[in-house]
Amino acid sequence: MASRFFGAGSSSSEVESSSDEEEQVQKAPGRTFQFSDEEEDTKRIVRSAKDKRFDELETIIKQLRNHKKIKDMSKILESFDELTRAMKKANNVVEKEGMPRFYVRCLVELETFINECWADKDGRKSMSKNNSKSLSTMRQKVRKYNKDFEKDITTYMESPDADVPDEVEGSESEESADEASFSKDVTAKASDFQKAEAEESSDDDFWGSSDESSSSSSTDDEAYGENLAAKFLKKTGPGTEKREKRKREKKELKVRPEEEEVENDGQGEWTVVTPGAGMVRERPKMFTKDQEITVEAVNKKLHEILAARGKKGTDRSEQIELLTELMKISTAHNLGNGMLVKILFSLIMSVYDYNPTVSLCMKPEMWQKLLDLVQDLLQILEGNPAIVINEKVMEELENLESTTEEFRVRGCVLSMIERLDEEFTKMLQACDAHSTEYIDRLKDEKMVCCIIEKLYRYLESRVTSADLCRVYMLRINHMYYKFDYTTIARPADEKAAEKPLEKEAVEKPLEKPLEKEAVEKPLEKPLEKEAEEKPPEKEAEAEGSSGEETKITEDTQQVEVVVDPSVLMDELCKYIYAKDITDRIRTRAILCHIYHHALHNRWFEARDLMMMSHLQDTIQHSDIPIQILYNRTMVQLGLCAFRHASIQDAHNCLLDIQSGGRAKELLAQGLLMQRQQERRPEQEKLEKQRQMPFHMHINLELLECVYLVSAMLLEIPYMAAHEFDPRRRMISKSFHHQLKIAERQTLTGPPESMREHVVAASKAMKVGDWQQCTEYILSDKMNVKVWNLFPETDRVREMIRQRIQEESLRTYLFTYSSVYDSLSLVTLAEQFRMERGLVHSVISKMIINEELMASMDEPSQSVVMHRTEPSRLQSLALQLSEKISILVENNEKLLEIKQGILPGTQRRDGGYQQRGYGGDKWADGGQRNYQGGNRRGGHQQSGGYRNRNQQDGGGGGGGGGGYQRRNQDGGQGYGRRN
Amino acid sequence: MASGRGSRRTTESEATVQYVQLDGLVVLNIIKHCEEVGSELSQGVLLGLLIGNCLEITNCFPFPRNALDDPDFDEMQYQMEMMRHLRYVNIDHLHVGWYQSTFFGGFVSKALMDSQFQYQHSLDESVVLIYDPLKTTQGYLSVKAYRLTPQTMAIYETMDFSPENIKQTKMAFSKIFDEVPVVIKNSHLVNALCLEIEEIGPPTEKYSFLDLATSSVLEKNIKLLMDTVDELSQDSNKFHNHYRQVAKQNQAKQQYVQKRHQENAARTAKGEVALPEEDINKLFKPLLPPSRLDNLLLSGQIKSYCEQINQYSSQGLGKLFFAEGLQDKKQVGTI
Repeated sequence: MASRFFGAGSSSSEVESSSDEEEQVQKAPGRTFQFSDEEEDTKRIVRSAKDKRFDELETIIKQLRNHKKIKDMSKILESFDELTRAMKKANNVVEKEGMPRFYVRCLVELETFINECWADKDGRKSMSKNNSKSLSTMRQKVRKYNKDFEKDITTYMESPDADVPDEVEGSESEESADEASFSKDVTAKASDFQKAEAEESSDDDFWGSSDESSSSSSTDDEAYGENLAAKFLKKTGPGTEKREKRKREKKELKVRPEEEEVENDGQGEWTVVTPGAGMVRERPKMFTKDQEITVEAVNKKLHEILAARGKKGTDRSEQIELLTELMKISTAHNLGNGMLVKILFSLIMSVYDYNPTVSLCMKPEMWQKLLDLVQDLLQILEGNPAIVINEKVMEELENLESTTEEFRVRGCVLSMIERLDEEFTKMLQACDAHSTEYIDRLKDEKMVCCIIEKLYRYLESRVTSADLCRVYMLRINHMYYKFDYTTIARPADEKAAEKPLEKEAVEKPLEKPLEKEAVEKPLEKPLEKEAEEKPPEKEAEAEGSSGEETKITEDTQQVEVVVDPSVLMDELCKYIYAKDITDRIRTRAILCHIYHHALHNRWFEARDLMMMSHLQDTIQHSDIPIQILYNRTMVQLGLCAFRHASIQDAHNCLLDIQSGGRAKELLAQGLLMQRQQERRPEQEKLEKQRQMPFHMHINLELLECVYLVSAMLLEIPYMAAHEFDPRRRMISKSFHHQLKIAERQTLTGPPESMREHVVAASKAMKVGDWQQCTEYILSDKMNVKVWNLFPETDRVREMIRQRIQEESLRTYLFTYSSVYDSLSLVTLAEQFRMERGLVHSVISKMIINEELMASMDEPSQSVVMHRTEPSRLQSLALQLSEKISILVENNEKLLEIKQGILPGTQRRDGGYQQRGYGGDKWADGGQRNYQGGNRRGGHQQSGGYRNRNQQDGGGGGGGGGGYQRRNQDGGQGYGRRN
Repeated sequence: MASGRGSRRTTESEATVQYVQLDGLVVLNIIKHCEEVGSELSQGVLLGLLIGNCLEITNCFPFPRNALDDPDFDEMQYQMEMMRHLRYVNIDHLHVGWYQSTFFGGFVSKALMDSQFQYQHSLDESVVLIYDPLKTTQGYLSVKAYRLTPQTMAIYETMDFSPENIKQTKMAFSKIFDEVPVVIKNSHLVNALCLEIEEIGPPTEKYSFLDLATSSVLEKNIKLLMDTVDELSQDSNKFHNHYRQVAKQNQAKQQYVQKRHQENAARTAKGEVALPEEDINKLFKPLLPPSRLDNLLLSGQIKSYCEQINQYSSQGLGKLFFAEGLQDKKQVGTI
């Protein structure tokens, strides 16, 4: 047995040495306890599916044993009940796994114990009443219960796990259970259940050995001291003490317990085990030396490792290591690509699993690894068309071995790569957009795109159209927001001519490799430059990555199919429109397509697509990411419209986004501070997940500026035209808001911010000063801040200038037309530096729209004002009269009340009658007055007339008098009736 | 002087002040003050004496401008101090009212009423002078003296502006203020000086009262009038709503009473004891009628605006006809 101890030591050191690569400190304690016997460890890993149930059973059994020791019958009864209940729960696990031996053993033991007790008549007599009663019930119960397990028990009886005395057995498992609970504390921190198991087993082992060598606690210390991390010592302290105490108490010989499934217990340090049980006896070795490594064995092993996946205590990094190891073994033994693919699959999955929560992003190293793995996988798949990967392949039907048929592997490359894409986005979301880290990450996009490209080519002929749509969508997602600078270089007409040509280009790809760079990362160009300036640092920190990168760039160069992105986009989207069955992908594709059109200045295509899709009606019912995309698309559409001088459209597109002041939130480009209520943490998490990565952002200032400028171009002439209209409505609230803010300022300096510029320009425009207005809008500051962000800056600027001239002219005419009798077109053209024809057309349009009451006098080239518009004073007077009539109406209502006609409640029942009554009265009053007038003569009659007029609701001027008189009449009429 | 004092004690409240006699000095002082203050509201104290039924105002001093900002400032203290000083230099030091500037005649407000009430309550003969600096720049000196009518005083004392009370006291917007005629009188010496200055100095270069551009003033007036009309209609809406609620409540009351009546009838028929008549007002709390003060004030304000517009436009019309006549003559002359 001493040798065993030694063996233990040596193996543990082996473990240590093998686990040299960046091992976390926390893991160390677990390792150190891994003495020779790892069967249990392995076994538990394998069985971890049922761990929970069996643990439960074991705890109960432990308790049961404790009770047995003190012969507390009532407690034993309780525990037994509990045990049967737990067993019932574990039923389906048991069905799968077969009867757990320890359970059977426990039953056997219990029965013998009870029989013993029963036989011991003296003991029975001395028992308390309660206990003896329990004993008898117990006896019956156990007997009855054991009948169900008769077969198991007999098999067990035939070959019991070495005849161990009850008590020892009991104390052992007690011990082990105790340790289990103890180790849980430790694992709570280390978050590694497996280690705990290892520890437990090693502890058992340790006890066994220390007893054998009849050493005192000093051996413990020695043993611990050998390989215990200092950190762990503290935690072990109480545990060891406890165990020692118990040892003293019992002073019994402890025999190394039998492990249930391990046949040959502790004879030598290396047990030859069946592949099922002892494969990871030492992790680095995976398989025993003399074991034949076959596909079957590896597959089994793989299952074992995977079984622990997702368990609470599974060490995820260890899993990855294990799988990597397995992969090496399988390649070393040339087990064929099928196996390799399968292992790779599992490996990638476990890399995905590495993070405990979904919301966190991967570590960069993990990400690198993932990329490599996926690349490898795709390469293998591409190289071996015989491999069939499908999620519909059942595990049983997998074919990893035979080379004659095609390999069949279960799994889905597509979802794997979708996940990869998600992870990539997550990583971008997680790092600071202004750091070099972000640029580093962004460089990986090329790889991601390349992977997707590969995937596409791989899947193209293999999968259903629905799946292919998903692949296309992935490609589109990486494409739609990237601006293709080549489109600017190419004039529009030429482009149109080229189109058919390019269609061919798609069919036989690889035409313009030169364009690749622009296609790949047009938006990040400056970023990339920046990044390229400092590659040495990066290489230093990640040695492996640079090599891989070059490899990958080679790949991309070989593989990259470069076509005009817009054509490609067209192609992809149209395929999706045609083939997609899920509405979601189609919607996304449409939006991306529109976005892409809009981004590349194809306004009419974009607009028509948006109109035809009818997305505006349904978008509020779709999920939030799509809504975000919709918002982004609308913004892009608005910007495009602006570039095309469709100011009204631009304004309408941007209105929804800009009006609430929540553009940032709506475009998912950052969280807004919420004033009223705190965000719930989960809500915040969700919102963070939705954020767009920085390189996809739309410049908010550009957006706002374009919006404000469009609002200005619309609103200022409108305001001038409807100066006195009481029912005038604001076109743009936020524009008015800006104006108001500016008005509130006591001192206005030269404009600084973009908004101030627009406000200042609006003020200039209000008085028709177009020059000042353009100066403000197209100032240097604005150029730097906003206009230079447009791809065709000069064209846009020219457009803005023209629009400002036109709108200023309109505003001028609206504002000052009342001053003129006639205006010369020539002067106007000069004043606004516009062509005379243009001025003519603008004015004609105004006249046709009846905005301007004037007519053109062709011979003299002038506009003649009709002067039919009411003057300012007149319109004010009109407004006043309107208001007064409202007032009169109000007063009339009051009068009705006075007369007892009650609105609301009374009107319902007696309303009609009373109404009639009232009407009658009025008539009466009028009549009477008339008569009175007749009686009193002409002068009074006119008074009566006036009264009548008042009643008809006319003129408010003399309302006071007329009103009063009416009042009196009504009152009298009323009185008389009463 | 002595008789003045006597009369002050004996005169009846109704005919306290028949007219106000302003000293030229006071007018100039007020103008100066308002010019200094600019567009802000300027207020000050009038000093003088009541002689018979004529209130002579012989001097005034302004309230300091930023008095409200300074918490330590004691207005009364300042006034007393001021008056004492003036007394030393042998100037009338009797408090007879106060003055306030206004623009476009929009002076009718609760604040003005409050303070005038205070004045008139403690000093019976107090008046408030309303001075319009804008009109003065147009060439018309606009100084008006107002007093609260005895009716207003009576109502104000009770602070009861419920519709019933207003009805009982026959209060109306036209009866809030009494306008007291103002006479400006200079001493002979001053008159002599004026004549002399006229001789020495050149005549004023322009008469802005012949300005024909009437529309801007009218526009402003109409705008103000519009605002007030708006407010008034809002107020009447409020009043209307109140009545609706009252009506609803009345109906509920009636229903309740009827129900109780029937129940009692049923009970007596059965021979049971009738339920006691409870105080309905406890069940239905009477609604508080809205104050009519706002209504009165707004109506008063509208009246004041209307008067102004009337006055202004009649003058403007006159001027226009005048100008037309001149124009015709000129045309005839040229032909």
